[in-house]
Amino acid sequence: MNQTELLNALAGLTLFSDLDQPQLESVAHTLSAESFPAGQRILRQGFSGSGFFVILEGEVGVRVDGEDVARLGRGDFFGEISLLLGEPPVADVVAESPVKVLQLAGPQLRDFLLEHPPVMFRMLQSVSRRLERANRRG
Amino acid sequence: MSLSRQEKLAWLEKVPLLRQCGAEVLEHIADVSGELPFADGDAIVLQGQVGNGLYIVTSGEVRIVAGGEELARLGPGEFFGELSVIDQQPRNATVYAVGPTACLALASWDLLALLEREPQLAMNLLHELADRLRRIDAQVRD
Repeated sequence: MNQTELLNALAGLTLFSDLDQPQLESVAHTLSAESFPAGQRILRQGFSGSGFFVILEGEVGVRVDGEDVARLGRGDFFGEISLLLGEPPVADVVAESPVKVLQLAGPQLRDFLLEHPPVMFRMLQSVSRRLERANRRG
Repeated sequence: MSLSRQEKLAWLEKVPLLRQCGAEVLEHIADVSGELPFADGDAIVLQGQVGNGLYIVTSGEVRIVAGGEELARLGPGEFFGELSVIDQQPRNATVYAVGPTACLALASWDLLALLEREPQLAMNLLHELADRLRRIDAQVRD
């Protein structure tokens, strides 16, 4: 994926939709594009030291103790809760199809968000919605 | 018995949500927030209404109730009402005062403007919500 394709892909994701062109370029510069084949584990339950991932293409399954709890696709992201709390992930995340993601190394997430407040606000909205769903379920 | 600006500031400095935020942020909150008194059993926010603000408990206690079930109790320094402000959806719980209770109320537009202006506040809030989400997920699995 070249830089122009990456910028176009970024601009179409909700998480980055409030950024202007220079900010998008800064994000494209900071995050790295990676691919995973179907079946590959991207995040491992109980193991720290991973990253923050935004899905560009494909689908991943979220599994807790081997049981499917969610499916995520284009524009969804994962890994941020563990990084924010400094705790290991509580789920496996496995590629269900060939998957393209943008990845940010774990230790960079906090500074990345502080430098891009509109991205942090989108993440805040996402976590709020998940919390409201979890409250209704519980 | 309402707080003076100075008392509000001294109090805001101890609120975990505002840790590491700049002095001008605390001063701004002290200026724009209002202290609201509630009697035992008063509904402070109602399930189904769209959020109009964030509330920080300054004295007393509140209980959070959804679908007739008590989800949590919060005391001084703790806050509620933020979810509905952030995503502009109707509130998913009703919050009642337990005994005489007072809250500092921050209007939704003031909170949204502050989140935009003060990334550290957004980070503190994000951390708190992430922590709550993980605790709920753990409860659901146990």
